Parts: sequence; C-alpha cells; structure tokens
Amino acid sequence: MKHIHGRFLIAGLMMASAGVAIPFGQGAVAATHTAGPQQVKEIAAAQNPSDFIRSLGDEAISELAGKKIDDNDRKERFVNLMDKYFKMDQVARFVLGRYWRSLSDQELANFADLLQKYLALNYASKFKDFDGEKFVVGDYTENNKDIFVNSQVIRPDGPPVKIVWRLREFDGNLRIIDVTIEGISMGITQRDEFASVIQNNGGKVQALTDMLKQKIGEN
Amino acid sequence: MNLKNIRALCVGASLSVLAACASTQPAQDQTDFDPIEPVNRVVHNVNGAVDFLILYPAAMWYGDIAPQPVKNSVRSFANNLGEPINAINALFQGDPDQAAASFQRFIVNSTIGLLGFNDVATEFGIPYRDEDFGQTLGHYGVGAGPYIVLPLFGPSNLRDTTGMVTDYLMNPFTYGADNSDKVAAAYYGGTVAGAVDFRYRNNDNLEQLKQTSLDYYAALRSLYRQHRNSVIRNGGPVMNDGQNNAMNASFDFDDQDAPAGDK
Repeated sequence: MKHIHGRFLIAGLMMASAGVAIPFGQGAVAATHTAGPQQVKEIAAAQNPSDFIRSLGDEAISELAGKKIDDNDRKERFVNLMDKYFKMDQVARFVLGRYWRSLSDQELANFADLLQKYLALNYASKFKDFDGEKFVVGDYTENNKDIFVNSQVIRPDGPPVKIVWRLREFDGNLRIIDVTIEGISMGITQRDEFASVIQNNGGKVQALTDMLKQKIGEN
Repeated sequence: MNLKNIRALCVGASLSVLAACASTQPAQDQTDFDPIEPVNRVVHNVNGAVDFLILYPAAMWYGDIAPQPVKNSVRSFANNLGEPINAINALFQGDPDQAAASFQRFIVNSTIGLLGFNDVATEFGIPYRDEDFGQTLGHYGVGAGPYIVLPLFGPSNLRDTTGMVTDYLMNPFTYGADNSDKVAAAYYGGTVAGAVDFRYRNNDNLEQLKQTSLDYYAALRSLYRQHRNSVIRNGGPVMNDGQNNAMNASFDFDDQDAPAGDK
C-alpha cells in the first residue's frame, strides 16, 4: 500500500500532458542570443540541431506565451510553428501505425492537417500560463539516422522537466518527428490511442478522422 | 501460521521470483498487452465514478482550504513514508548510492524535517526518487505482463501489482502499524492524504486529458506503460541497444513505400 499517492491515477501520465504543459521560458531567449554568431556561421553548412531547437523555443515564447493572446490565434500560431519545424506527414504516418498504408496520398495529407489541429487543441493552451519557467537547450546525440536534442524546462518550484526532441534530416533540412517529455513520447501516445480507436471501430481509419473532426469542431 | 509468517513467506517468494527472472537488460515494454481489456474498461469506469464522487471533490476541497506550505508538508510527509521502501529497492537494484540517499533523506526529514513534514533533504541537495519493487523487477528484465486496472489504485500490470503487494509486505511501517495505533494512523492517513494531494496537483492535466483524448482508457494505458519504462531506466536514455531502445523502436518506415513526400 506504499505510495498510493504515487500510484493512484499514475504519476507519469500527468507528466505527459504536464510536460507539454510547460511553456518555453525566457532562458531560451538568452540562449539563442549567445548562440547567434555561431548560427550565422553555420547557415551554409548543416544546421546545428541544438540551435534549431533553440530557435523553436525562441519563437514559441514570443508567439504563444502569455494570457493576452486569443485562444484561436494561439492555436493558429501553434499550427504555423509545427509547419515550420515538424515533419507532419512523417508524424501522421507514425501515429497511424500500420493503418497508414490503407490511405491514399490525399487522405494522408488531410489526416496530417487534422492531426496538427488536434495537437494544437491539446497543447497550444499549455503556453497560456507560462510564467517564470526557463527553457534550456543542451547537447544532442545521434542514433542511426536520427538526432536527439536534450532540453529542460526549469521551473521555479519543483524539479526540471526533461524534453527530448527527435529530429531527422529531410532533403538537408532538420525537422522534428517526435517530442518526448519525461520519457513519454507524444508520437507513441497518439499512436497507441489512435490504434485503440481504429480497432474498436472495425479497423476503419474513417472512424478516427470523424472523431478528430468532432474534437476540433469541424463537424 | 499467523499473518506475519504468511507475509514473510510472500516476501521470500517474491524475492525468489526476482532471482529466477534476472536478466541483464532492464525491461522496456514497447506495446500494450491487454488481454482482459473488457474487464479493465469496466474497472476503469468504476474508478472514474469513484474519482468523480470522492477523490475529485476531496482534492478540490483540499486545494481550497490548504495553503501552499501545508500542501507541501502533506506531500513531504507522504513521500517520507515511502523512503524506507525506496532505499530497500534501490539496494535490490544494485544502487547502494541511491539507497543511501533515500535512507539519508528518511533520517534527515524525520528529524530535522520534523517527522517528515518538511523536505529539508531536497534543500540539502538530496532529491527524492521513487523506487518500488515493480521497478526492481523491471530492472532485472521482468516484463510488464498483462495490463491490469486495479480498483481504486488505477492503472497497473501484473509485474507492478506484484511489486505493490511486495512493497506493502516489506514496508516496516506495515508492521509498525500492527503494533501501534499512532503509527497506523500516520501511515494510512498519510498515504490517503498523499493521494488527495497528488490528485489535486495533477488535476488540470488529468481533466484536460479526459477532455481532449479520443479514448481516455487507451491514452492512460499508453502513458502508464511509457512512464513505467521511464522510471525503470531512472529517466535515462536508452541509446545503445537496438532491441531494448525506447527511442529506436519506432518511427521507422520503409521509405521505398512512402506514399507522400520524403523519399
């Protein structure tokens, strides 16, 4: 009966949404400034993965953080940021698991759009209460064809939250394909949940897209 | 045979399971294994109702009446009750440094921290880390087994349920509570208060997950699995082993077959 509190409705699951919860802090601004000259130098060569994430943090704070921004604006800006930094069709195929093969190119593109809006609905609002946190980008490691950038959100109260960004190179450009917060992968979480929805609806992806549309209010 | 003998026997049995299953790689489950899903979903819904009727109102009430320092004390006290078990499991996992850290936390917080109500150890630079017997089993390669939603306790699996029972049986407070009403009140009361505090702290995230998820049950199941993988490897990355690599296991496509874009 030890740690009911730790078990009751599970610890980490909250971290999942919690982590994304944590908006990017001012630390990133400072970090980007110091990285500035280096960034300029490297523009011709391959981009530094840590700088790539720093600039995302920088943009996210200036565009998403704060209570003054209208919620719909925030969602729209969130989608724009994803367009710029994420490889959405890759993410879309991953979260569909084996079902992506049953979709045409057009259907997949539509699904990627829908997914983006759904993620914006889930995560954009997390930036609203940003206050006092700092986003610090660390080093990166390479594993097979992917690059993992480590970062932390330093909170005024409580331990820092670890965020790992998974990047892959597409035609010489780095793009994010997954975000892992305290060991919880956004992609894997969505994939598992979507798989359950599809399976419970006779293997039809249509059921999933209908539900997504309903959530984001397109129906 | 009295109750205590049976308990001791159970601890012994669990330890021999541990020895028998020992493997070199920590377990990192990559897929949900949920053979009793229909039953689990029923329990999940019942838990949701209990939460709505009891835990959620209690947590909201607690949130309103308790000032922040009191809330911190509740968490510290509940965490402190778990430190002996954290130390024992760290030791089982072959991590004497962490075991010593948990033990130090327990001593420091129970004395200078006034019976655990103040987490002075964290201020001294010894952070809290939760170690349970489920993690110990995972550390030695024991997989999660079937997913189980426990009544009241929520998401678990066969391994972690075994771990929870073992921790209960190993916990010195369990035996202290047998012999003293005061210890019993502190142990069980502290645990319940810790649960209310936990529910309060995670309310926003939990409510949002409920609201935005398409299949709340499946989302929880995935989050639980990933969280357990993460605590089993103590938050560290698993970058160098193909089979066991949480980072590797996915995001791979046959690029030849890719229908859109990125060839």
